[in-house]
Amino acid sequence: MMRRMMWGVVFGIAVAATMAASAPPQAGGSITGTVKVAGQTNNADVVVYVEHATGAFKPPAAPAVMDQKNMKFVPHVLPVLAGTTVKFTNSDTVAHNVFSPDHEKYNLGTFGTGLSKDHTFAKCPKFPCVYVQLCMIHPEMEGFIVVVENPYVATTNDAGQFTIQGVPPGQYQVAVWQAKGKAQPKLVTVEAGKPATVDFTVGK
Amino acid sequence: MNAPGPCPRRLLCVALAAALLVVVLPGRAAAIPAFARKYQTSCQTCHIVFPKLNAFGEAFRLRGYHMPAETEEMVKQKPVSLGAPAYKRLWPKAVWPGELPGNVPLAVNIKFADVNTSTLNEDGTVTKVWSDFQFPQEANIFGGGTLGEHLSFFSEMTFGENPDGSVSVELEHARFDFDSPFGPEDAFHLRIGKMAPNVADGFQEMWISTDAAIDSVFSYNPIGVNGGTGLAEDVTPAPISLPASVRGIEAYGIIRHRAMWVGGVVNGISPGPNGQFDGNNAKDLYARFDYKLGGMGLDGYLGDKAPPAENWRDNSLRVGALVYRGDGSNINFASADPLGNPLNIQDLHFLRYGLYASLFVQDLNVFGAFIHGTDQLQSLDPVTAETLGLTQPTYRSWFVQADYVFYPWLQGTWRYETLTPGDPAVQSLRVGVWNASMLIRANVKAMIEYQRDLREGRNHSLNGLVRFAF
Repeated sequence: MMRRMMWGVVFGIAVAATMAASAPPQAGGSITGTVKVAGQTNNADVVVYVEHATGAFKPPAAPAVMDQKNMKFVPHVLPVLAGTTVKFTNSDTVAHNVFSPDHEKYNLGTFGTGLSKDHTFAKCPKFPCVYVQLCMIHPEMEGFIVVVENPYVATTNDAGQFTIQGVPPGQYQVAVWQAKGKAQPKLVTVEAGKPATVDFTVGK
Repeated sequence: MNAPGPCPRRLLCVALAAALLVVVLPGRAAAIPAFARKYQTSCQTCHIVFPKLNAFGEAFRLRGYHMPAETEEMVKQKPVSLGAPAYKRLWPKAVWPGELPGNVPLAVNIKFADVNTSTLNEDGTVTKVWSDFQFPQEANIFGGGTLGEHLSFFSEMTFGENPDGSVSVELEHARFDFDSPFGPEDAFHLRIGKMAPNVADGFQEMWISTDAAIDSVFSYNPIGVNGGTGLAEDVTPAPISLPASVRGIEAYGIIRHRAMWVGGVVNGISPGPNGQFDGNNAKDLYARFDYKLGGMGLDGYLGDKAPPAENWRDNSLRVGALVYRGDGSNINFASADPLGNPLNIQDLHFLRYGLYASLFVQDLNVFGAFIHGTDQLQSLDPVTAETLGLTQPTYRSWFVQADYVFYPWLQGTWRYETLTPGDPAVQSLRVGVWNASMLIRANVKAMIEYQRDLREGRNHSLNGLVRFAF
């Protein structure tokens, strides 16, 4: 009997541990919605993020990647958690250079096809930190890395839709960043297992 | 040098022959399908019957070829970036970012004319031309567009085919503009180049609906022993009544949507004696101030008002005053005294004052201008350069034009113009123009136009014209 009880406790602990491992942190909900950029047909590349969230957030072990392909930065906008290392790759047949005049300012130099350079974004004085990515060889190239303080962030698709997954239940200020426009942050209440909806219009 | 003038009748004949000659000379146009392509919009967005602009088109022109409240969404042909906007922050360590038009911003206008004229000659005979098919009469190649936020350009090259098979080519416009480089939007624009100056633009060519130019205002020759006697097209150096085209620098701006100021410094009488464009080392100056009451703002501002559905309507009154001061010292015009003795004349200083008004009431637009000119003419011995006399003749000219939109595709025009030359012995010139303009398509226009010398009925013309733009 005791043995069966012990097996039951062990099984229960194992199931609980398995659920805890597979479930979003704190059984979170999601924030979803649409962003309309006034005066533009394409509503992509708007960063939607939770301004402040409690907890300590570790940057991912694997680097994020921003490629240079067809003489463009891909993705055009890349949001990363503070401390994340970004690997700048070159998939083009021509050499590229990567530099940013923002914040700590860096110039990763010029590198050819198949090569890459890394930079760790760990010096953001005030979130969000926006780093424009430029190529000195091709001045028309432009990309953005947006450094945020927590992992609750998403970018919009062409239609302006976004979903931020795994947000712990609570009340948050949700804000947006867009290269040419602005929108007022909005208060959003997230409940476990439920999507909270919020829409934005970005203007000048 | 106040000797009696020559026979007024003879001079009048010469003047009118010159006037009617203008009818068959290349006219001016400004329909730019390059803009229609860029915005994927109809010509009628900016034109009533091209090249006449509606209020929106006038705002588009004055704003440096940017639409009022333009957004990226409106621009269908995406420009080519010459630098990411972030490079602005890196200047002067990087080139300031700019743009190229997405497509080559060129457009073509072609004009066909069926010319019928009757001209009274000096010897009393009448020359008649019946149905001269000038197919084509001229072709214009336009370039116009923007180079990013604060730069724009406009050019026009006109090719005319002559009866002997030769071709005349004229670079009518080539200008580069800095648009709102600083300060409030549209408060300051700067243009450099060969251009239709804003001292007269608005009533000179942008708004005219007829094929006949307003010669009494722009083609008067003020040079003469006792003052100017009539029109002139081929006098060299080219004297100035009011310049239709200048080489120079002009600044203008729009204040609080309603007021427009203009100031310019230009070459003046040209060409010079040693191959230079300026006839002397003195520059001419001009200024204009306009105010518009009612209707759309000069920059396209509407406030809370909704624009009328009829794109030609803009119930409003626009009034303006202009002044042009020229210096023709050291520029000799070959002339002769009443006895036929050769002499040179210099237009030492000349002033032109003018008033302009344009009234839109529903489908009717009545507009006109009055010009008063003063010339300080010095007669010189062509050999010794001794001063033979000094006169200060004045002249005045004015015109009034009424355009009425019967249908969106049909406009009727009537114009009366008069010129009282500086030589008091010469009769004034009076000309009437009647025109019906039909849009076969938004970019294809047919016109029937009758022009008549109101003092001498044997001077008249009746022309049929087709102009198309692509």
